[in-house]
Amino acid sequence: MSEPLASSPTPDEAEASAVVVPADLTWRRMHPVTPAVKGWKVLAVMLVIAAQQFGNNLSEAGQLLHGRTWLIAVGVIVAGAVVGFGYAAIAWRMTRFAIDDEAVYLHSGVLFRQQRKARLDRLQAVDVVQPVLARILGLAELKLEVAGGTGSGVSLAFLNEDDAGVLRTELLARAAGVRRVEGAVVPPPVPEQPVLEVPPARLVAGMARSGATIFLVLGVIGLITAVVWSGEFGTIFVMVPAMFGFVAFYWGRFSREFNFRAAISPDGIGLRHGLLESRSQTVPPGRVQALRLTQGPLWRGPGWWRVEINVAGYSGVDAQSTENVLLPVGDRDQALVAIWLVLPDLGVVDPRALLTSALDGSGDEGGFTTMPRQARWLDPFGWRRTGYVVTDRALLIRSGWLIHRLVIVPHERTQSLSLEQGPVQRKLGVASLVVHSTPGPVSPRVPHLLASVAGELMTEQAARARTARASAGPELWMSPTGDS
Amino acid sequence: MTSHVVPAGPFDPPDVNWAPVSRKLASARLSMTAIVVGVPAVGGAVAALLSGIVWLWVIPGVFVALGLWAAWLIPRQVRAVGYAERADDLLIRKGIMFRSMVVVPYGRMQYVDVQAGPLARAFGIASVQLHTASPSSDAAIDGLTPVEATRLRDKLASRGEARLAGL
Repeated sequence: MSEPLASSPTPDEAEASAVVVPADLTWRRMHPVTPAVKGWKVLAVMLVIAAQQFGNNLSEAGQLLHGRTWLIAVGVIVAGAVVGFGYAAIAWRMTRFAIDDEAVYLHSGVLFRQQRKARLDRLQAVDVVQPVLARILGLAELKLEVAGGTGSGVSLAFLNEDDAGVLRTELLARAAGVRRVEGAVVPPPVPEQPVLEVPPARLVAGMARSGATIFLVLGVIGLITAVVWSGEFGTIFVMVPAMFGFVAFYWGRFSREFNFRAAISPDGIGLRHGLLESRSQTVPPGRVQALRLTQGPLWRGPGWWRVEINVAGYSGVDAQSTENVLLPVGDRDQALVAIWLVLPDLGVVDPRALLTSALDGSGDEGGFTTMPRQARWLDPFGWRRTGYVVTDRALLIRSGWLIHRLVIVPHERTQSLSLEQGPVQRKLGVASLVVHSTPGPVSPRVPHLLASVAGELMTEQAARARTARASAGPELWMSPTGDS
Repeated sequence: MTSHVVPAGPFDPPDVNWAPVSRKLASARLSMTAIVVGVPAVGGAVAALLSGIVWLWVIPGVFVALGLWAAWLIPRQVRAVGYAERADDLLIRKGIMFRSMVVVPYGRMQYVDVQAGPLARAFGIASVQLHTASPSSDAAIDGLTPVEATRLRDKLASRGEARLAGL
């Protein structure tokens, strides 16, 4: 490895009391170019502040720069750079990490020291992220998600590109339960089988037919009407901020989901995407907590679907993040492949027929239990579609009239269940079942079922979840004995 | 023990013995309400008295009405709360108007919290909150006696440990 290997300094005894750290670890540092990549943040923040101060008054800013004031400006920039890069350099000095068979250890922090231990048997996902600058310099950030709530993951930034890849392979092998013999060669990356690919043309077409486009067209029509009606051309400028929003939305989606590819390997699902910042995710088997297929009204014609997943550790709160996307846009076959990636066995004889009725069907075809007729006023258009079906492996929830949705929750991934009933629902004799999943875009919910059906479903799901968990695969997915 | 609020239905599964929470929870919540409602009511009454404007009496009137409504509602709400330890999961039921029942499998619990604020301590009650990997599992039991809270916490923790699976 080209990584500078620190000469394994024993951690400070006083510090070590918080996290039990084995003594024989080999400590490593991040790549020495890291401060140069990270140090720009202070300058970027200064630039943003400056832009906010002077953004709407450029001439005033120009006047300020007359005379000697530009010297001060340069001084401030230089000071910012010194602070930024200096801090990043010290932070680099203070940061080191080590791995053993059980965990990844990360020590960091300049003023407030932090020691973090991420248990590998709790590993939920490993990402290799390369922001533009890091990509140019051949660096990469390795992120481990361990499902301990927000900020519990470990981020190793930045490593040499190749080292990051090797380290990922090694971590996944250890997390899978492959014990490493001291001095043995690093296991080669497991072979990947590419299964999904989204060409840029499809991505653009998908965005052009997205819900945002409908709003954009409606907005433009409304604007033209307003201009014609009022006769004042200035009305157009009202739309300028909104236009920026749309451009940012389209660009963000395009750049993040560009060149989307999914592959399957013994280590789980591999996802790669990104135009400027490239992201390569690995989600080990059994780590997907729930998935959702969505189809907007304009996607109905070509039969396209978007597939999103819940993975513990991927918070999904940030709308800008693509880490929860399993398929940005794809036709029916690709969507079915995406489901197969997560659930190779759906627990029915004819999964294709079931999924066809789950995606496009309505009523009780395919064994679905839908909302009772008396509750149709609660969902006047979608009540025939809203329903669920239970297979041996998962709960499928179909809903939505304008936007078709299908949510799939594997039984062994059910966290807890709850039954809810408001006054109107009680009058109509219905209740909603909520399935609690880890944080993410998917929040499974079967609304307005016949009260007795909902109660029964809750009891059954609790039992199914229990038996499914008991027979679920081991956390260490390659360990012959397993630990479950 | 459930006869006064619960009609048979999905919220009353068979073979479940619901344990009620302490009535002191009602007292604690009522005192809290008394503070929240009482202060503006008194303030409004004083203002109306001093100024002599008749319609100002509407303000204390509204607050008193709110307080009376709460005094009627809160004891019923507290009586509607129940929990049951089953072999593999914990059931928590609450609500009269908007009812909910949550089932938390022991194997899914990540950790258990016992909390008691100053008011709760004054009334001798505590609350137990169960956390799963899902933030939406709203599994809290308010108004347990400290002894019961500790017992429940220890029992849940040991049961969770015995059944703990991954995520």
